[in-house]
Amino acid sequence: MSAQPSSKPGATDPKADAPASKDAQKPAAQLEEDDEFEDFPVEDWPEEETQLPGGNAHLWEESWDDDDTNEDFAVQLREELKKLGQK
Amino acid sequence: MAGFGGNWTKKVLVEINATLKRRNSVRLQSILVIEPPFDEIYTQLINEIRQQYPVPHTEAEERLQPIIKEIVTDTHEEESGDGDDLGGIVPSWGSMVSFLSCWLLFLRDVDPSDLLKTYERLNELQTRANSALTHPTKGILILPTLIGYAKVFARVAIGLDKHPELIAHLVSASSSEEGRSETLPEKAANVIRQAFSTCLNDRYTVPGGVKSGRPDGKKIGIYRMANMCLKILFQCEKLDNCKQIFNNIYNSSPPLSIYPASDRVTYLYYLGRYHFSKDAFFPALLALQKAYDDCSKAPPYKHQRRLILIYLITVNLILGRFPSHELYSRPEAAGLRQRFEPITQAIRKGDLESFRRLTNLNHEFAPWFLQFRIFYQIENYCEVQLWRSLFRKVFLHFGELGASERAAPTLDLWKVLSAFHFYEKRALLPASMAQADGGPGKRHINFIFQQDKPLPSAGYVDPDFDGLDLKPEFLLPDIIEMESIASSLISQGFMNGFISHKQKRLAIIGARRAGSAVKAGWPNYWSVILGRSNDEVMGWRKDTMGSGGAFGPGSVVRLSGLKAAGE
Repeated sequence: MSAQPSSKPGATDPKADAPASKDAQKPAAQLEEDDEFEDFPVEDWPEEETQLPGGNAHLWEESWDDDDTNEDFAVQLREELKKLGQK
Repeated sequence: MAGFGGNWTKKVLVEINATLKRRNSVRLQSILVIEPPFDEIYTQLINEIRQQYPVPHTEAEERLQPIIKEIVTDTHEEESGDGDDLGGIVPSWGSMVSFLSCWLLFLRDVDPSDLLKTYERLNELQTRANSALTHPTKGILILPTLIGYAKVFARVAIGLDKHPELIAHLVSASSSEEGRSETLPEKAANVIRQAFSTCLNDRYTVPGGVKSGRPDGKKIGIYRMANMCLKILFQCEKLDNCKQIFNNIYNSSPPLSIYPASDRVTYLYYLGRYHFSKDAFFPALLALQKAYDDCSKAPPYKHQRRLILIYLITVNLILGRFPSHELYSRPEAAGLRQRFEPITQAIRKGDLESFRRLTNLNHEFAPWFLQFRIFYQIENYCEVQLWRSLFRKVFLHFGELGASERAAPTLDLWKVLSAFHFYEKRALLPASMAQADGGPGKRHINFIFQQDKPLPSAGYVDPDFDGLDLKPEFLLPDIIEMESIASSLISQGFMNGFISHKQKRLAIIGARRAGSAVKAGWPNYWSVILGRSNDEVMGWRKDTMGSGGAFGPGSVVRLSGLKAAGE
């Protein structure tokens, strides 16, 4: 991985074609977020207060495999295979 | 406190004595204040001490202590009531006398504008309070006061850590004998740790330290004191020093579940982060999930929930569980979808190019991930999931089901290699050019010059070698690496099959039984993780000491009654 700053805008920059100016590159994400875990002002709270409004049931997706087989990928792979000298 | 003329010192000491005799520790805390602004009575008290004891600290203490001893009679040795095991005598409480003189002089000298001096005086005061806490029966009276002081002490220590210019002159003088310099926050954590140990090792409790479902004696303070040490140690990035605290708790604390919610949630947050920092992701997940579940969902605690959630999402991501839309829509999750979802999308699709861009230090969110110290873990551990997805994806396109019904489905590793090359090379192009790539026959003319030639900025050449004829080398993976990655995925259980080294093929096992080659070859990632993990989390005391008689962490094995072998 490169540690050098890229001279081009980042991957998610919607204005990727605009000329890059170094001054215009400071992304908002660099503003630091407060990462101190503050003391709780109260010692205890009732269990009802810990419930999520919609319940804790569906917070995580455990099956996320992608079965999409778009043709472009197959075409591009075949081209890459040719370069490898296979088939 | 009326009726004692103008002698404010005496008034306060009389009131302290009465409070001690009533065993009112909360009232005691409200008397032994250390933070300005002070009430009128304290202003009078401070003026009086400044006038009557305008001498150096030691001398002032020598004069104050006999007065304290005389007035605060509860510090004297006395006969104990029935039913205790102190041999009929409650020992004197000299350490309380010493603490009180220190407190009075702290009030005399406190100057909140001088952070370093405040730190030093608090250090002294905290140490004296620690000693007072060790009294077998009365020590507990000072616990709430001590907890309050430790909070202030921790805040000052962290404040100093954030202003290194204030303590630069002390750094060289504070090296230990081994040559390692101990920072002021570390020293503060060590002082607070003494109180933690006193609470943890309190012997003057019922066996097991649990009485009517509540922590008995000083054990009530275990997690409060531990959390303060942990806060300091995490803030000054000395995570290794936390291990002893977690070990001590694991070995001899009452169960965490009987402590107040604020103690539990804070402790599990730090415990989860500690395990995360040690790459022990499943224990981290269990601790952080419980912290998130038990944290109040009331609006004032949104920031605590957000911090827990950032680590909880990261650890789930690494273990193959992705946040749902419901989770992203929680108030504390604002902005997290923007950061995490592109990564999970890349993993799902086996899109190595996007993954490389998202985990590049130049990416706009990289500073955010680095600030929370989750950048490299995501980069290293999620890549394994991406490999799995990419193998799977290539199989979906090019997998061969076998000539006969009995033949195993196979995947040509050369085809997998071509997919790796395709993505790795695109990842080296500028994003705009990769996006504009319409595929074979639809490409911009510039691709003739760009393909297979990464940008100069994509490689690092040390400035020392600047001007020499050195070009960064880009090693794309080769077929051996495909075999290696496939073996790694198989040995970790993320892929089911074997490799034919000669044919450079992966053969899928169990396709008929599973109903499909893809199902058999690529079992659910999270299920694989679950199958090899257990619920034990070092540092998380779940059951009562000695209950059930089961061996386990923290159980005491008495060897005194055993005979040596052969006897």
